[in-house]
Amino acid sequence: MSSNSPFAIPLIHNAVGIMTPFLLAAIGGLYTELAGMLNIALEGLILTGAFFSIVFAAATGSLLLGILLGILCSMALALLFGAITLYLRANVFITGLATNLFASGFTVVLAFQLFKTKGVIQFPDIPRLPVFSVPAALQRIPVIGDILFGHNIIVYATWLIVLVSAIVIYRTPFGLRLRGTGLSGETIVSLGLDPRRYQLAGILISGLTCGLAGAFLTMQLAAFVPEISSGRGWIALVAIYLGNKTPWGIVVASFVFGLAESFSNYAQGIVNVPADFILALPYLITVAAMIVYAIWRHYRASRT
Amino acid sequence: MLTGFTGLALTLVFSFALVIALILLLSKTPGRTIWYFFAGAFTNAYYLGNMLNSAVPLVFTGLAIAVAFKSSVFNLGGEGQVYAGGLAATAVCLALPAANAYLGGFAAMAGAVVVSGILAGLSGFFKMKWNADEMISSFLLSSAIILVVNFFITGPLDDPNNNLLATLPIGKQYALTKIFPPSKLNVSAFFAIATAVLVSFFMARTHAGYEMRMCGLNREFSRYGGISVSKYFVLPMAMGGALNGLAGGLLVLGTYGASIKGFSAGMGWNGIAVALIARNSPLGVIPAALLFAYLEAGAKAAMLHSDVTFEIAAIAQSFIFYFVTAQSLYSLARRRKKP
Repeated sequence: MSSNSPFAIPLIHNAVGIMTPFLLAAIGGLYTELAGMLNIALEGLILTGAFFSIVFAAATGSLLLGILLGILCSMALALLFGAITLYLRANVFITGLATNLFASGFTVVLAFQLFKTKGVIQFPDIPRLPVFSVPAALQRIPVIGDILFGHNIIVYATWLIVLVSAIVIYRTPFGLRLRGTGLSGETIVSLGLDPRRYQLAGILISGLTCGLAGAFLTMQLAAFVPEISSGRGWIALVAIYLGNKTPWGIVVASFVFGLAESFSNYAQGIVNVPADFILALPYLITVAAMIVYAIWRHYRASRT
Repeated sequence: MLTGFTGLALTLVFSFALVIALILLLSKTPGRTIWYFFAGAFTNAYYLGNMLNSAVPLVFTGLAIAVAFKSSVFNLGGEGQVYAGGLAATAVCLALPAANAYLGGFAAMAGAVVVSGILAGLSGFFKMKWNADEMISSFLLSSAIILVVNFFITGPLDDPNNNLLATLPIGKQYALTKIFPPSKLNVSAFFAIATAVLVSFFMARTHAGYEMRMCGLNREFSRYGGISVSKYFVLPMAMGGALNGLAGGLLVLGTYGASIKGFSAGMGWNGIAVALIARNSPLGVIPAALLFAYLEAGAKAAMLHSDVTFEIAAIAQSFIFYFVTAQSLYSLARRRKKP
């Protein structure tokens, strides 16, 4: 470490890695949210992507193929979720729960069928996720060099996705109509368009990003752990709300959560506090951040 | 009404057909697996009683969600509320090792109700006071409290003589009377039915229940009509928390006799499903909980007597969730009725 602050830099560096799956799931979920649908299926979509990407990567021997097929499976489940919700006109809350339940049941049943175990499945032969290499000169920039570089390629792909999303959502006809669907479905109908197409598109995009988020989780471990998504889809939903339903807000909210988790990982080795309390910390910090933000908004609104 | 039933029947037929297809795909002895999955719960008194017993907490968690949904308040913290209620009841019982069974049991239930009621009520309070989304805050608080409960179960209250991750057992006098031995079914089943009736009465026939339902239909209109709407963020949340707490407390006194790590996992989520299947009707929660328990009992029997894993229950449940609220299936059933 070239910095003179050995405590904060690795903390932030790790936070950038930890926030990636949250950020991915949240940015995909943002499309659904803006189209006026509550997407609580993020959790199940992440889990599906996690399972299938590593299984396919092991089967094909190719990291890229594994990730792509994993994303495809996650999108297929998203399609099922969206089609039933929109075209059979089902309650989005319960179909979302169904998707999560289906994913957690199906991955275990399939793991049992394929690997004869319901526990952790290790894939030691999986190639490592390549670290994005930058010129050494950039690497040596103090602070920024330490924080921003040396992550694996999915982290950088995520930043690219966020950037593209900000453009797609605010600068393209598709984004305009997507947001229009959420604000007023009737207007979209009066334009001769079908709002359900935009909602389905939003759901499929969330399937795509959640699939990648899942791949990030299993590829990093080179193993599949049942319920590996462990609440990340829910936290992503929180990040969408905390981030005020904007891409940059979501980046900030995901970073807060990543930092809280990075800090609790760090604190576990240092402070003599029961591990469970430290693990609870990210949730408590997030709820505190959320309430402080709500109070701030409340008083700002009452002053004007 | 009849069309509603036809729609539900259609949903079940659809879902069961998918389950059979799945079993044919996965099992090497599909006939045996299908038999145990669908009829296993009725093959002996033990399975039947345990199935009924596992429906009991779902009635409470289903009611908790139904009350909140009827008031258009979202409580996503069921998981933590049930778990914390269970721990609170255990702690009270452990603190009163030799108390009278009724007084001590009542104190334990009160502890569960208060702890979980406050836990959920907080989210309602944040919403009322600062408009902080109660769905998100209840979920986050619940996720945090689950870890805190884990700490107490495996730490200060851990039973050193038992290698299970569980607290010390509560006093024998607190065990609820079994009503269908050898199964675990106990008197908490009667409490569940009584609670469903009470909640139904409260929502349909009392002033507060009426105001809650009005807030659920249209909060702005209710405010205009002179209802003090802000308190109906807190009340439905706190009531739901209290009901979830009861679910946890009764599980401890009736079924487990201690708090075991993760013993109530899934009950909060399943409560949401139960409430939605029941279309938020407090009395409808009872058959919905039974349907749920039936699927799990079937999967358990199929796992014990055949070659599939328990998790096919989750898949079967998810099929039912997917179709149970599908309006199009119901209108299909309706169209068939009219020539």
